[in-house]
Amino acid sequence: MTSRPTPPYALRAGALGKRFGRRGAWALRDCSFRLPAGRVCAVVGPNGAGKSTLLALAAGLTAPSEGAITVLGTDPASARARVGYVAQDKPLYPQLTVAETLRLGADLNPGHWEPSVAEAVVRAGELDPRARVRSLSGGQRTRVALALALGKRPDLLLLDEPMADLDPLARHELMGTLMAQAAQYGTTIAMSSHVVAELEDSCDHLLLVGGGRVRLAGEIDELIEAHARVSAPAESADLTGHTVVESRTTGRQLTALVRPGGPLPAEWRATPPALEELVLAYLRNPQAAPLTPAEPADEAGTAADATDRTGNATEAAA
Amino acid sequence: MSALASPLPTAPGPLPAAPARSAALTRDLRWLLRLHRPALYIWAALVVVLAAALLWLAGPLTDASADAWHDYDACHGEGACSYYQDAILRYKNVYDCTTIALTALPFLVAAWSGAALLGRELESGTAHLAWTQGISPVRWLAVKLAAPAVLVTAGTGLLVWLHHHAWSAANGRVDTAKSWYDGLTLHANGPTTVGFALAGLGCGALAGLLWRRALPALATGLVATAAVRVLVDRLMPHLWPADTSVTSLRRGIRGVGITVDEGIVTSTGAHLPRPHCPPEDAVHGCTSTYAKADAVGFFQSYHPVSHFWPLHLVTTAVLLALVVVLGTTAFALVRRSTGGTARNRRTGVAG
Repeated sequence: MTSRPTPPYALRAGALGKRFGRRGAWALRDCSFRLPAGRVCAVVGPNGAGKSTLLALAAGLTAPSEGAITVLGTDPASARARVGYVAQDKPLYPQLTVAETLRLGADLNPGHWEPSVAEAVVRAGELDPRARVRSLSGGQRTRVALALALGKRPDLLLLDEPMADLDPLARHELMGTLMAQAAQYGTTIAMSSHVVAELEDSCDHLLLVGGGRVRLAGEIDELIEAHARVSAPAESADLTGHTVVESRTTGRQLTALVRPGGPLPAEWRATPPALEELVLAYLRNPQAAPLTPAEPADEAGTAADATDRTGNATEAAA
Repeated sequence: MSALASPLPTAPGPLPAAPARSAALTRDLRWLLRLHRPALYIWAALVVVLAAALLWLAGPLTDASADAWHDYDACHGEGACSYYQDAILRYKNVYDCTTIALTALPFLVAAWSGAALLGRELESGTAHLAWTQGISPVRWLAVKLAAPAVLVTAGTGLLVWLHHHAWSAANGRVDTAKSWYDGLTLHANGPTTVGFALAGLGCGALAGLLWRRALPALATGLVATAAVRVLVDRLMPHLWPADTSVTSLRRGIRGVGITVDEGIVTSTGAHLPRPHCPPEDAVHGCTSTYAKADAVGFFQSYHPVSHFWPLHLVTTAVLLALVVVLGTTAFALVRRSTGGTARNRRTGVAG
């Protein structure tokens, strides 16, 4: 596996779990997913869902308590040189200037540091290279942190809440920089946020984490395709055979978000859900069966063959 | 070197290892010094100031004090007597200050290593920044420990040597000069201080890695270093076989040095602790107490001045062994918490 030059998956987790302390609560449990290389992936979930833990595990900053994670076809420690990571609180050395911080990046990344990339990111924010990091605003620090991560020319970029501190203009500009990076070099990007709308336009892959588990994983288009928002008369609606994520009866009308297990009756009104709607439905209903792509028979398999792992057991959830 | 002299200019192959390694070393030192420049300057200033003070002490101050003592000792009885008291006091002040400073250095190193070198980095997350740049956590720790260890060894080593030099200059010439076995002087004169400083570095580093916060790491590093200092100081006399001398009751205990044990020798040759001598007998030299205890002489096991180097070297070796344990633990801790080094770990996920 390690000999493969371009692994099909940038990230691949199997039964991954992490807890802090021997008797601590699980921050992440039984987490299995695959992120194909070259995708821009939104890691979405409420605060404390385990997003940061997942990204830290992928970056090789902490060791999993159980299971394994494969990064760019190898273990996180071996992939270190090819992975960029920006932590949620954007830690930087306050005593260094912006220029010194970038020189630090050059010294820590021998052989794969591209100064022009890092300098371009800093310059776009009109940052004075001689300014001390401690004098920068939150947004400016984010910019320097991103410059450090992009300067090492990573194959995989892990960004933990990257846009939280940025004003709309800087957010738009930096997102453009990231997308250009992804398009130009085929960089895989995984970025977390608890604001779905922030990522909807830029991402093509989704990983929804809730309560320390993966709830949804796959291509956003396919995830939306796999679900339907249905409304039907309450007395005639029979949801048996479909996986119900959420259902509500108002008066004589039943509305539900389902994963159709077969063709829906023609008299039902079915519409594809919006991404945010989908995410919220899964977060509101922790008992709903998760949807993650099954192990493909061939390595090139995609989420097209996504199947419900535990669907049968949870049909009664309706 | 034979590779460099290869007659085949077209021969392909990897770059010579030495330049690549020295370039990596330069890079590692560069980022480390960029982060800890103030600490480096403070350490350099401390070493320079203390070294200057010790040289001043060894030369002019000792000479002036010795002259003053010479004049003082020449005074007999009444009459005008003149000696330069300020010289004596100045020598004593500077000697005490430098000795205390040298004793305090390991604690300073421990506080810095726990708080600034590691604790603060783990607390603020900048350690994670470094680890997700190109450097592995293990290499990061290695650089962070090795470079300070070299500087600490060089600095304290120089100062200890100068202290010994200053002490020797005054020994026998200045009447109030400290004896070689005086609590602080004993360590300030020899390599155990270097060992304490390295142990301080290790204690601080381990505290920083365990707490992952600067302030508790600072406190823990200091307490641990103090504990090492006290315990090793207690242990030191037992790390080398002491000399035992037996003297008659009349001569009394005469050995000068670090006493390990002393007491009375009975007529059967047994060594017993010195019996309690009541005050009414003490005025007669405790003769009846000793007679009652069947004492025929005294014994004393102690370290004479000739044991200075053996004691120091063995104690330093013990301290270095402790440093190795601390360092190994620190590396194991980092390796375990970050999922290890890049090796053939189990990488495959089912399928």
